[in-house]
Amino acid sequence: MNGEASSSSPQSQTEDDKKSPNDDDQHGTYECNICLETANDPVVSMCGHLFCWPCVHQWLETRPHRQTCPVCKAGISKDKVIPIYGRGNPNPQDPREKLPPRPAGQRSEPEATNLLHNFGFGGDSNFQFSFGIGAFPFGMFASTLNFNDGRPGPPQPNSPQQAEEQFLSKVFLWVAIIFIFWLLIA
Amino acid sequence: MYLALLTKKTKMTSMEKRLQKELQAMTKDPPAGVSVNTNSLSSNLSEWVVDIEGAPGTLYESERFQLGFKFTSRYPFDSPQVMFLGPNIPVHPHIYSNGHICLSILTEDWSPALSVQSVCLSIVSMLSSCKEKKLPPDNALYVRTCSKDPKKTRWWYHDNSV
Repeated sequence: MNGEASSSSPQSQTEDDKKSPNDDDQHGTYECNICLETANDPVVSMCGHLFCWPCVHQWLETRPHRQTCPVCKAGISKDKVIPIYGRGNPNPQDPREKLPPRPAGQRSEPEATNLLHNFGFGGDSNFQFSFGIGAFPFGMFASTLNFNDGRPGPPQPNSPQQAEEQFLSKVFLWVAIIFIFWLLIA
Repeated sequence: MYLALLTKKTKMTSMEKRLQKELQAMTKDPPAGVSVNTNSLSSNLSEWVVDIEGAPGTLYESERFQLGFKFTSRYPFDSPQVMFLGPNIPVHPHIYSNGHICLSILTEDWSPALSVQSVCLSIVSMLSSCKEKKLPPDNALYVRTCSKDPKKTRWWYHDNSV
């Protein structure tokens, strides 16, 4: 339909005209999908659609029970929009008197990558051995499979504390081996 | 007259600002078969008349219709009231003879990302996909009993084919 329109309509522009720099076209990418102005306090939905925070907030208030993206109808919510912070603040006069502040960005810590490196018992390894008695087969697996799960890091190498911990972990290892052996012969 | 409206920049409500933008876009780059009747615009842009034309190769080819739009101050969060006006109302299974249109985006499926242009194109497309010109089955009853405002009708959307 559009193809016919551009060929028959007298106002149709040539390709070159459309590419010529034009204020509207340049800003079009950053227009709010609701007010059609350049987004102010911009937030972006998980589906990638840009809005002013005040605009999308008002829309979410309008339909509290069916919160959908105005553009693609994907589910959206206050917690699932990401604020966009540009450099500086070109509009110091903030129109958000009645509105809650924009949701904060969610910053996750970089993931630990050394999960199974330095595997071993000696030196400055991250290996920690713990032992607990639970329902027989399950507790045993749980107790042997938690490497480096967020407990205090290893102590300084060659400190008395480290020696003590190594000794303890060896003791527990032997206790565990004896316990398993006892279970097997019993 | 709309040029005067376009240059008026002071103290516009968000609804006027948004309608101003839409009007600008639609007059600058009108979509196929859709043109805003600029003489019809009220001073705060809350009422528009849009002329539409049936798409070529369809049952409504080159027939001309008028759509009336009314916007509340809550536009675009609130959907516009849209109905056919004037003597020529298309005969279509989803269009009542009083001009009311049964189209879900005009009520419960409205989204503020829709616009006058997208509503007009949806209606042109609804006309285009029609296979047989006939009135809605409950037309006589509806026209006798309905409210003047089609947005007050509890529409029951069930036919997705047209």
